[in-house]
Amino acid sequence: MVGMSVLRSAAAFAARLSPLKSGNNAANLLSRTIPRTDKVAVRWGHGKKLFVIKPSDYYDRRFLHLLQYYVLLTGVPVAVFVTCVNVFIGEAELVETPEDYEPEHWEYYKHPITRWIARNVYDSPVKDYEKMMAAIQIEKEKADTRLTQLEVRRHMRQKGDGPWFQRPTLDKGLIDYSPKSTPDN
Amino acid sequence: MPADHDKGAYPEPPRQTPAVDKQTALPNPALILSKLFYYSVDLPVTTFRDAVDSFRANNKSVYYHQKFRRVPDLIDCQEGDYICYYEAEMQWRRDYKVDQEIVKVIQERMRACHQREGASYHQNCGKEIQQFNEVTKNFQSRYGDLGAYASGRKCLMKQKERMMAAAQAQSA
Repeated sequence: MVGMSVLRSAAAFAARLSPLKSGNNAANLLSRTIPRTDKVAVRWGHGKKLFVIKPSDYYDRRFLHLLQYYVLLTGVPVAVFVTCVNVFIGEAELVETPEDYEPEHWEYYKHPITRWIARNVYDSPVKDYEKMMAAIQIEKEKADTRLTQLEVRRHMRQKGDGPWFQRPTLDKGLIDYSPKSTPDN
Repeated sequence: MPADHDKGAYPEPPRQTPAVDKQTALPNPALILSKLFYYSVDLPVTTFRDAVDSFRANNKSVYYHQKFRRVPDLIDCQEGDYICYYEAEMQWRRDYKVDQEIVKVIQERMRACHQREGASYHQNCGKEIQQFNEVTKNFQSRYGDLGAYASGRKCLMKQKERMMAAAQAQSA
């Protein structure tokens, strides 16, 4: 019976549609068009704001921020200082050594900071060389002394007339060489 | 600025560019570009360099090349004279560094020649290539496989081995 009117069947159908899905309200139930999925206009202007759930990057960012801070704390003054030295003092030029002039040991370097370090902090290479040779000389003398000591010891032990391997005894002037009546006198 | 070469010793040939004979009223784009380059790059850089040079003018300093006296080699040292050994070792190390730099200079010459000649360097750079091969062969035979703990004694022993091998090759 068409008397069970079209309206009733339509209402039953409408009741079966889920009310939560958007587009399913009474206003556009009868008048909506079928959405064409192939011709959708996509514009990424103001998209829907999403709350992206990801692990915390607070600690990483804090670490990198602190790293940057502490590196730049001394890095920037050092960079400024080195730039000023290079701009206002500048590197040295290579010239021929003039006759009868002995350059100081720092005058063999080019950059002004290297020259300053060589002049005020380090010993001159000549002094280092002499220090090393002095150390070698001392060690050589120690080694030679040890060898001669062994040699002397060997001789004294063999011949027995040196001071090292003597044993204290009674005075040999106390020996009585006179003839005796019994063996135990 | 690094000094240019001696123009008196290597004079440039007389310029053969023809005189400008402009027959159009249109501007010359090459001239425009060169003027643009001059005002945008050349002039600022030159003024900056002149300013920096004027700052540095009061604090000019020089440095010298250090020359070392020759000392007796390891061969001329008495046995057990450790001071002599030390001085010979230091001299050997300085000579090793000098030889490394010599090889680098020869290599730089060959690379410059290669860069200049382009694709035809096999033909035109024969002298540099031959020099480089000779120098590297000699360096390899003298200092070749001594390693990081190279010393004058090890080099001397290598020389002895070389001389023994040469004597054996000669007698065989």
